[in-house]
Amino acid sequence: MKKTTKEKGMIEESRKLSPAEEDAFGKELDVLRDEAFGSLGQADVDHIRGVVRLARRAEAGGRALLHLGLDPVTFLAGAGALGVSKILENMEIGHNVIHGQYDWTKDPALEGAGYEWDIVCPAEGWRRSHNFEHHTFTNILGKDRDVGYLVLRVSADQPWHPAYLLQPVSAVLLALMFEWGLGLHDMRFDDLFRARSLGEAREALKGLVERGRPFLSKAARLCAKDYLLFPALALANAPRVLAGNVLANVIRNVWGFSVIFCGHFPAGVRVYAEEACEGESRGAWYARQLNGSANIEGGKLLHLMTGHLSHQIEHHLFPDLPAARYPGLAPKVRAICERYGQRYSTGSMPRQLASVARQILRNAFPGGGKPIRDIAAENPPLGRMSAAAA
Amino acid sequence: MNAISRIATGVARGLLLERQAEFWLGQVAPTRSLAQLRARVEEVVDETADVKTFRLRPNGRWSGHQAGQFTTVELEIDGVRTRRCYSISSAPGRLPAITVKRKPGGVVSGWMHAHLRRGDVIGLGLAAGDFVLPAVLPQKLLFLTGGSGITPAMSMLLDLGRRAPAADIVLVHHARSADDVIFRGALAALAARAGGPRVVLCSDDGSSGLGPFDEARLALLVPDFARRESWVCGPPGLMERVQSMWEAAGIAGSLRQERFTLAPPRAVTGGKTTRIRLAHAGRSFVAGPGTLLEQLEQAGAKPVSGCRMGICRTCKVRKVSGAVEDLRTGAVSGAADEDVQPCISVARSDLELSL
Repeated sequence: MKKTTKEKGMIEESRKLSPAEEDAFGKELDVLRDEAFGSLGQADVDHIRGVVRLARRAEAGGRALLHLGLDPVTFLAGAGALGVSKILENMEIGHNVIHGQYDWTKDPALEGAGYEWDIVCPAEGWRRSHNFEHHTFTNILGKDRDVGYLVLRVSADQPWHPAYLLQPVSAVLLALMFEWGLGLHDMRFDDLFRARSLGEAREALKGLVERGRPFLSKAARLCAKDYLLFPALALANAPRVLAGNVLANVIRNVWGFSVIFCGHFPAGVRVYAEEACEGESRGAWYARQLNGSANIEGGKLLHLMTGHLSHQIEHHLFPDLPAARYPGLAPKVRAICERYGQRYSTGSMPRQLASVARQILRNAFPGGGKPIRDIAAENPPLGRMSAAAA
Repeated sequence: MNAISRIATGVARGLLLERQAEFWLGQVAPTRSLAQLRARVEEVVDETADVKTFRLRPNGRWSGHQAGQFTTVELEIDGVRTRRCYSISSAPGRLPAITVKRKPGGVVSGWMHAHLRRGDVIGLGLAAGDFVLPAVLPQKLLFLTGGSGITPAMSMLLDLGRRAPAADIVLVHHARSADDVIFRGALAALAARAGGPRVVLCSDDGSSGLGPFDEARLALLVPDFARRESWVCGPPGLMERVQSMWEAAGIAGSLRQERFTLAPPRAVTGGKTTRIRLAHAGRSFVAGPGTLLEQLEQAGAKPVSGCRMGICRTCKVRKVSGAVEDLRTGAVSGAADEDVQPCISVARSDLELSL
């Protein structure tokens, strides 16, 4: 994790903050948070409804092109439009609504607790694994199951295993089938492998069955929709519609994988040891969220298509704030980071993707950098409150 | 047709296409919905300087109303869905109409007066409430109303005009001035009909002939009040005096009441500060004066609310511990793990709420 591209004025390594600085840092971010929440209103609701309208129309248009067309141009345009609608539905709408970003509207259609998205991973398990575990224990090895999604070694701090030699291939497979990866990830098969006694194994198996039922049921329903109902409605055009729907889902999968991997795994983003975060203050939590996330630079369209996860840093600082607010907050967050000597990781999508690809390739092999404790010694990760005593 | 739409709805639900179906239904017609009761504003009528009637055309989920019942309207005000309950002023079988007085500082009534126009679509709740006429109509009835308390009575008078043309009906209505009498024209038309109700108008400034509510005068105006089935709806002061008068006459059982506004909560005696803890949010704040609902709103907890008078139970929350007083009854309850209605409750000790 030492490779960083020189950019004018960019802080390459966050400095250690004293507890007093951490508190002040947290307070400044809290002020931003309160201001943003205090100014929510009609414009925010109009924005998300506009995106819903766009996604629905793209879906209808895409399906119409697939169903009614015969030539390859309408096929690609149809699958593309359907893919775009799924991306919008999953990212700007689904992910953000499920975070509860629009709960304040009290509109049942925008209520996080009741939202089910167009992706095989059920929202119910996601609310736990993502909203709670990933956003609370961000980038803590052993606690954040989203670090490399347990199947990829994205950091030298993860112990190497020969199976990681295959990760350049498995990463590509994961990208193509990302929704299935997320669904299987939330099944928590790892609980089964961690079991140290027969009783624990039985418990783990029970949990697996409990989570398996909703996952299989949802996957079956979505597959029936995209791979049976719509092809059947197309009659003679069924193979074309089936292929188009597969392509749309793959487009969404690859895009989602790319955005999410750019958010946490480019070089320079930190991972943390479990004990480093025990009893951390709110300011230290903010600092860990900042140092464990990376942004993607781009225009309005890119921000929308990533569900504003191009502002992963702002999202991790304020996960329940409507995401369309992040671009407006970003300059202020960046200014605060600069004053506190904190690295604000950001780069273009090609650059961040290239960095992620290098990480995946390099970490397929043993070594790859200093282990976390060494980094801790020369430049301690933030919020190492109790680790210093240990 | 019904069966087809039921099957289509079932398939949409099963294959997770419900949101799409709901969206495209809404695009066809804004009041159409798979699950929600919505209504289009058909007409807006100015009744007085600060009262408007909104005539609504609900979608197929509306199941009608009885005279005297209320409905809950859901409006989007600066992005936030906000609910309020209003009595229905139209006759049963007709389009529901609500008659709204613009309250000084009232967020919802003020918004409706300023923004709600013909053609707008709002959310609606099913008609509810037991301030209604009995199935077997009495022969002698008395309505005592004040201000916008006329609205449920108007629906009942219209209903009675059709169902019991021979009934002996008296309406004694109180307003600030003659100009503030809601439905003045409609009341005059009802009174002018053969066998129509006797309408007595009173006003605080005497401009409609008679002055403000007075027990002795009421007894003179309606000497047989004790032998009538009575309905009272109006401001808290009027309601309390009528109730006392009926209790004194030993006929409290013949009086039906509908409260529109709560009497303001009494100050906590002893001046002790109480703290309210929100268990899930993990924070607490010091309670000021006002209802628990107002406290939660001031503290930024953004509670869901509806009627704000203890009817609709929209705002119900689980109280983990502490004591609250029910403003309607004065009863204090300190039970652990019970549901309370914040809109009609005040904290009488430190509280912990499951919020």
